[in-house]
Amino acid sequence: MIDNFSIALTHGLLLIAAWRLIHRDDLDLEDPPEQDKEPSGFLNRPSNSGSQHDA
Amino acid sequence: MRDLVFVGYLVALLFIAFKRPFLFTLVYAYIDIVAPQRLSYFMLNSVPLSLIVFALAFLGYMFADNKQDSRFSIRQAMMLLLLAYCGYTTIQAEVPDAALEKWGWVWKALIFAIFLPLTLKTKLRLEALALFMVLCAGTLIITGGIKTLASGGGYGVLVLLVDNNSGLYEGSIISTVAICIIPLILWLANHGTIFPPDWRVKIFSYALVLAALLIPIGTQARTGLVCIGVWVVLQLRFVRYRLLYGGVAVALGLMSIPFLPQSFTDRMATIENYEADQSASTRIAVWQWTLDYVKQNPFGGGFDVYRINKLTYELSEVDVTQYEEWGIDPDDVDARLVEDEARAFHSSYFEMLGEQGYPGLILWLIIHVGGIWRMEVLRRKYAKSKKEGEQWVAPLAIALQHGHIIFLVGALFVGIAYQPFIYMLVALQIGLDTYISRRAAEAQWRPIKKRLTGTKKPLALQTPGGTYTN
Repeated sequence: MIDNFSIALTHGLLLIAAWRLIHRDDLDLEDPPEQDKEPSGFLNRPSNSGSQHDA
Repeated sequence: MRDLVFVGYLVALLFIAFKRPFLFTLVYAYIDIVAPQRLSYFMLNSVPLSLIVFALAFLGYMFADNKQDSRFSIRQAMMLLLLAYCGYTTIQAEVPDAALEKWGWVWKALIFAIFLPLTLKTKLRLEALALFMVLCAGTLIITGGIKTLASGGGYGVLVLLVDNNSGLYEGSIISTVAICIIPLILWLANHGTIFPPDWRVKIFSYALVLAALLIPIGTQARTGLVCIGVWVVLQLRFVRYRLLYGGVAVALGLMSIPFLPQSFTDRMATIENYEADQSASTRIAVWQWTLDYVKQNPFGGGFDVYRINKLTYELSEVDVTQYEEWGIDPDDVDARLVEDEARAFHSSYFEMLGEQGYPGLILWLIIHVGGIWRMEVLRRKYAKSKKEGEQWVAPLAIALQHGHIIFLVGALFVGIAYQPFIYMLVALQIGLDTYISRRAAEAQWRPIKKRLTGTKKPLALQTPGGTYTN
């Protein structure tokens, strides 16, 4: 009884998830990311290191 | 009846997957974790289910996916090396039959972990894999949690769906795994998009976390309690009011003691008094044996080499009253000596050392400790990101890192060095890492001149709509 409840609950959710996934375009292809506003990287790094990608 | 339902369910899942071939990969993860063939009595047992679905996943990737976005990382190369090395030690194994049997599932786990990150090239795919891992493990965890609430469980007593002590269904392993996915459950509850966070998702997630916390109580695996402790301490890193959190955690822990089954508190009490515990003594004896063994065989003895060990060890500080209960004179030294053979490693580190020697252990440590390090790098890089689309990165890195640390602590006491579930976690880390590096490169600031000439246009821009999306 408990086993069947658990199996039904999670398997139901897995099926819903799979169903929702096939209707999502971003599963296979995404929009390009938001462009950085400042240059990053060792050579281009501004002296105040205020860039978001400077870690 | 259950068989028919499972067959129908799998057919439905595979049918949906034909629409988007990436789903085959998720179906393989499902089969690997839940092992529906173990839950059924016939039909599914008779077909090589995981092989078929893996073939579908691989073909789906080969024919339907854009390989340009896939990256091969150092850790995947390390896993490939480890796989080759394990193959070599299997040929040279001290116990050839047992080694071959273990090799039979280890290579699959490693191959899948090497393959998986290649397919994880969008944020949604990362999330989908995390969700499938959580829900699949949840099948066992929910059962275990409810049964523990109802009966209190017991060591080796709690039966999760099937009376089978292999894979995730073993008590210590499910205890470790249940705790190590708690951070991932909480990440999905806050950042999920397949099931966006609403009151239903929150209730389900918190109930699942509670069930996961109940698993170590139900299975009475002491490792699980250690894992809970590690999780609570790790949470301290990022909570705003540490003192309040610590106080509440201690208070909740103390308040729960009266509700715990007596057998559980008795068993957990043996953690502090480990010297009087045979299970702990055998561990120390077998670890000592492993160290001696690799002195002679630094390149390891192949899978299941522990089967050749013969141990004699002394039970020290054994409770005198317990000896009297057994009718043994406590002064009789011989009675304290226990002889044993073919004792398992009871620790993933010693499992790697004994089976694969120093090269194997080093590779294994690079794969796992490397993951924790990479997640820390990602967390630091993205914790301060102000971009709307990157707010999920640092929390996922933290969740994967914490889960991995919990596993590595649990692995001190359980031989789960090749547990497929953990390699999926590793694959998820690698997938996140390579995905983020690629996106960061695409997002890099470029001078207007280059933008106009389009010399470094992001790949996704070149194929609007994507011809390979089906």
